[in-house]
Amino acid sequence: MTHEALEESLPLYAAGALDRVERQALEAHLLTGCASCHSALKDYQSIAALLPLALSPTKPPRSLKSTIMAERNPAPIPAQTPPNEPARQSLEPGEWMNHLFPPVAPARSSSLPWALGFAALLIVVAGGYFAWNVSIQRSVATSNIQQLEASLQEKSTKLAAVQREVGDQAKTLVELRNELQQRTNEVAETKEQLAQRKVELEDIRAQLSRQGSAHVAGTPQDELAALLRIPNVKAVSLTGSDMAKQATGFLLYDSRTQKAWLYSVNLPECPAGTTYQLWAIRDKPISIGTFQMDTGETTHLLVKKVLSFTDAKTFAVSLEPSGGRPQPTGPIYLLSRS
Amino acid sequence: MDKPSQHITSMIDPTLLARVVKGDQQAFSQLYDHSSTLLFTLAVRILGNREEAAELLQDVYLEVWRKVSRYDVGRGTPVAWLVTLTKSRAIDRLRARASRSYQTANSVEVGTVAEVADSGPSPFETQADQELRIAVGAAVAGLPQAQQQAIELAYYEGLSHAEIASRLNQPLGTVKTRIKLGMSKLRDSLQRWGNHGELQ
Repeated sequence: MTHEALEESLPLYAAGALDRVERQALEAHLLTGCASCHSALKDYQSIAALLPLALSPTKPPRSLKSTIMAERNPAPIPAQTPPNEPARQSLEPGEWMNHLFPPVAPARSSSLPWALGFAALLIVVAGGYFAWNVSIQRSVATSNIQQLEASLQEKSTKLAAVQREVGDQAKTLVELRNELQQRTNEVAETKEQLAQRKVELEDIRAQLSRQGSAHVAGTPQDELAALLRIPNVKAVSLTGSDMAKQATGFLLYDSRTQKAWLYSVNLPECPAGTTYQLWAIRDKPISIGTFQMDTGETTHLLVKKVLSFTDAKTFAVSLEPSGGRPQPTGPIYLLSRS
Repeated sequence: MDKPSQHITSMIDPTLLARVVKGDQQAFSQLYDHSSTLLFTLAVRILGNREEAAELLQDVYLEVWRKVSRYDVGRGTPVAWLVTLTKSRAIDRLRARASRSYQTANSVEVGTVAEVADSGPSPFETQADQELRIAVGAAVAGLPQAQQQAIELAYYEGLSHAEIASRLNQPLGTVKTRIKLGMSKLRDSLQRWGNHGELQ
């Protein structure tokens, strides 16, 4: 029981409404000396003790007093049980423990000798103390057992949660392993496919090289040579300007494949930060592409995909800053004759 | 009959008990005079039987005479202690009777005792006693019927909250709440009579 629950049970305790286990738990708690519970209980018990005042008073029979006065022992034994003995006070049960006292049988035997009475009293006192002591121990033990049970329950719950978590993780691990195996298989399969494709590629290359027109396919130069034999390919020749009098070039356009080839010869090396740019000119120049002439290079083949320039009248190659320009800005190096 | 003294029921002096412990017969006689009506009223209410209530009181007073050292002044008034002791013993009897399946009429058996007891306040009751009696009566009567009933079943019949819930066919939580609320209200309305059971 939490302290809050114990505290809440105080009014029920004072009214006498707790069951045995709850009562023992609260009494065990009170024995720990909890000041707030002691104080609250004292308040409630003072109130509870007043309740009989709300009843209509009923006087006891007049003979009762004389009966009691006659039947009590000659005297109590004050020396053995002084009131408010400091050394025992904290352990003495207060009014809240009174119901724990064993009921005492009515003492109606005034004829018994004093010694027998004294012995009986000693037995009763010793028995009462023993019973009280056993009750306290039992209360404390019950309380401890309850706490241990609660603790055990909590631990079991935690253990079950950990076991569930471990189970989940094991399941996840198995899933991951399966997935890894699957991925490994896929990689192996892909490798196999790749090897197969390589073989196919090599086969195709071999076939191409074996074909009759073996010179057509292969390098761009081969393709260019093949083009020269096709009748409907447009051919334009270019001559060098004053900038490059030794330079020449010719341009082929295949409308079937929409490809243009510029084969240039003896163009000077591009200065750093410049590039050659090929233009098709009808009303205004349209860039076809750029190319570099590196040191020691005398010929160059530029191949570009061009949608159509069949309407172009003139073709030119100019020297432009690197990356080319939308419109020609530099000097012309090659120009078509037509 | 003894001459009324200055003591009132609600204000029994703890020193009176100390004198009883020392074997002072006059003190014991005074203790009886100032508490017996209240304790007998309580015993009759619980046991529903004057004869048995008288037997019980005899046991309680003899127990007080022998075990009065159990009283601890730090834990309540002498009256509170006597009421609690009497109530405990009466409930014990009630339970013992129930376990023996002893059938008794629930009504008070008037006239079975040789000397029929009187109703009415004790001749030792003072003005302060009457005021306290009226205050407690008003506080109890001021409780909602359900709270009053739950407290009385616990207090006078010794029923646990579970037994009350079963008896009234009400949820356990409801019964607990009724008792807690009722006790809190009683504490609030009787606060000025305070921890010492006397007017402060």
